[in-house]
Amino acid sequence: MVQINLPKNSKVEKGEYYRDKTGSKNIRKVNIYRWDPSSGKNPRIDTYEVDMDNCPSKVLDLLNKIKNEIDSSIAYRRSCAHGVCGSCAMNMDGKNGLACTKPHAEIKGDINIYPLPHLKVQKDLIGDLNTLYKQYQSIEPWLKNSKKDDNKENLQSIEDRSKLDGLYECIMCACCSTACPSYWWNGDKYLGPAVLLQAYRWIIDSRDEERKERLKKVADELKLYRCHTIMNCTNACPKGLNPAKAIAEIKKMLATSI
Amino acid sequence: MEDKNPLSPHIQIYNWHISSLISISHRITGIVNITIITLICFWVALLFLGNTNYELIQKFFETFFGKFIIIGTIWSFSFQILSEIRHLFWDLGLGFELKTSNITGLLVIFGSFVLTILIFTLGGNLVL
Repeated sequence: MVQINLPKNSKVEKGEYYRDKTGSKNIRKVNIYRWDPSSGKNPRIDTYEVDMDNCPSKVLDLLNKIKNEIDSSIAYRRSCAHGVCGSCAMNMDGKNGLACTKPHAEIKGDINIYPLPHLKVQKDLIGDLNTLYKQYQSIEPWLKNSKKDDNKENLQSIEDRSKLDGLYECIMCACCSTACPSYWWNGDKYLGPAVLLQAYRWIIDSRDEERKERLKKVADELKLYRCHTIMNCTNACPKGLNPAKAIAEIKKMLATSI
Repeated sequence: MEDKNPLSPHIQIYNWHISSLISISHRITGIVNITIITLICFWVALLFLGNTNYELIQKFFETFFGKFIIIGTIWSFSFQILSEIRHLFWDLGLGFELKTSNITGLLVIFGSFVLTILIFTLGGNLVL
């Protein structure tokens, strides 16, 4: 269901203001979404004045700086800091991305940081991705092959292998799915760009023997065809992949197969 | 537990892109077009009922609001047609690269205005 407004308990309120204490002249304001599960209060936006002279280049560095030097209570996920793990996916300056690869210099004006859109917030910038992981599980993301000869390599032609390019790089950070309005309104039924790209990755793999079953499973009015090519997914992907195209390829395969 | 956790802001904070803007406009013009086609059917039906109706409608279309409706209709149809052509290419799996889709998106927007001007200024000649 399309529900434009946020529920009552999700309305964002004005939070605290942390004034700069370093006396730096190069100050930027950072607005961060905060929600504390133990407080029983609504989410709020806290504003931090950050000394940019002593801050490395990425948004994640900025968050680390705030956590280390200004307010240690702020919660967010991060791990590799090199755009490989996908933990630090969040909404920065109105667009989803990885905090560790997004330079804060690209953002004009105040820096606004929110959790990934339309998720149940667990704390501050941490959203609940369980639904997405369950959907990922539902497409059975592993190779299905009946060959029993374990001592042999499962060879693939260069051409077949190249079909996986632009798909296998996906790190499941959920930037695309949580950028998709269709996924916002139908996230419980529509699989969303991330999971559909993964589905296509297994459908197109020449070594997989269950292409037909996979296609049949995904061919559903809600699971697949809620994609209206809004392209927010491709715009958001921090790895430069194209989920919209992957979904279109699935639709094409279904339309051309008998 | 479930209800306690707030929902993170979505449409309130998410930036608009050319593609998302066109997508929502495509839907809105689709609804507008269906409404307008229905109205045109009523309009034609009214013409069968006599001269006075014709004059009344003619007068309405000469007013500022009437002109606005006509131009709005032409734009809505122009936009829908161009955007639909873009969708047909997408259905063939073409034009998904970000750069391409942005260019075709801009073409749809500018094209819809050009087409509107062309139809409004020249379209009458074709009918008569």
